[in-house]
Amino acid sequence: MDINDISQEEFEKIEAYINGQLSNEDLLEFENRLKNENHLATKVEDIKIVLTGLETQTMKEQLDEFHNELSSNQDKTVVNQPKVRRFNWKRIAVAAILIIGLGSFWLFGGSSNERLYAKYFTPDPGLPTTMGSNDNYEFYEAMVDYKQGDYKGAISKWESLRNLKPQSDTLNYFIGVAHLASKNEKIAISFLEDASKNPEFALKNDAHYYLGLAYLKAGNTKQAKVNLKKSSSENSKEILAKIE
Amino acid sequence: MRKAYQTDHKLQVISAIKANDSETLNSIYRSNYPKIEALILKNSGTKEHAKDVYQEAFLALWQNIKQNKFIPKSESSIHGYLYTIAKNKWMDVLRSQGFKKTIVASQLHHFEIKDEENNGIDDDILKDKRLEDVMLAFKDLGDACKRLLRKFYFEKKPMNLIAEELALDSASTRNKKYRCMQKLRQIALNK
Repeated sequence: MDINDISQEEFEKIEAYINGQLSNEDLLEFENRLKNENHLATKVEDIKIVLTGLETQTMKEQLDEFHNELSSNQDKTVVNQPKVRRFNWKRIAVAAILIIGLGSFWLFGGSSNERLYAKYFTPDPGLPTTMGSNDNYEFYEAMVDYKQGDYKGAISKWESLRNLKPQSDTLNYFIGVAHLASKNEKIAISFLEDASKNPEFALKNDAHYYLGLAYLKAGNTKQAKVNLKKSSSENSKEILAKIE
Repeated sequence: MRKAYQTDHKLQVISAIKANDSETLNSIYRSNYPKIEALILKNSGTKEHAKDVYQEAFLALWQNIKQNKFIPKSESSIHGYLYTIAKNKWMDVLRSQGFKKTIVASQLHHFEIKDEENNGIDDDILKDKRLEDVMLAFKDLGDACKRLLRKFYFEKKPMNLIAEELALDSASTRNKKYRCMQKLRQIALNK
């Protein structure tokens, strides 16, 4: 279509039609023309797309701004990742001292159990969170918190569910791992003990593994061994070999 | 009168979205992103993927509300809607051949989202070649035209206010708008 075939007057009429701004009389006339003129409907369609496109592109640019705000706020909260833009000796020196300091604590400070624990502990990746399963909605909502590292939020949601279903192995297991991830190994142990009792529990293997780690962190090597032996994971074997 | 207030509030959200109210949109954007980022990171994606998929979903939400194809009953239905569209879009990416090539099979091991029916959600509302051309063209349009068209069609300011801002009479403002639109259509047709 030749783009020059829309005059300013025509364009304004079409735009008013699209926006529902024509008077009754003009609307009748326009609708008549739509029936009789071959290309008018195409022109209307064309202008509609242009209007939607330009608004959408503007919105897209707006979303990029929202996103930048979002990530600049995130950067502020992540203290561990300072952005060193210029070569800043002072900052690097401070960082080096910190690294050396933390490193020597790592080497000479913590007990060997703590070191093993820190080496092997990563929280369970969690269950897939899907939409639509209404009965389990709260469980999965907590799972989303958990996956985002909001263990406190996840624990409080799961605990309120646990009041209804105290025997749920899955709940006990995830509450336990979440407590362990937030460094409450003693509370974690009681939940994981409950979870690992049921021989039918699908995540029994993992429950023993995390229970072993929790005991390791709590300094109870004996119980750590007992539980790690009940877990068949590769990591369990590696840890056992190192504490023997 | 709590109920009346809620209905009123609901309508306000919808009309604010339709009016491109930046505060409302920003708050919806902000509060829904983390869950969707978590979903995509968990399923073999990167933060960059998360941003792209989320923005596409957000645009589809916005267009569907504008065109009355989706009439949210509450704010949580907006959340669910966004999440479902983003999830569907991410499924499409994961299934695509291009993506499978860039990722080793072992990484897909943890791929866990279940495919569900799409609840009649139209998330393809923006998949149109001509629309994409116009969007690309708008990027290339000069700043003066971009600013002018933004005032008209995004901020939806009344003509006399825009004329005042430009220190022009209304006839010249209308003509400027027309010429900017012609320019935009011209660039789009050559895409």
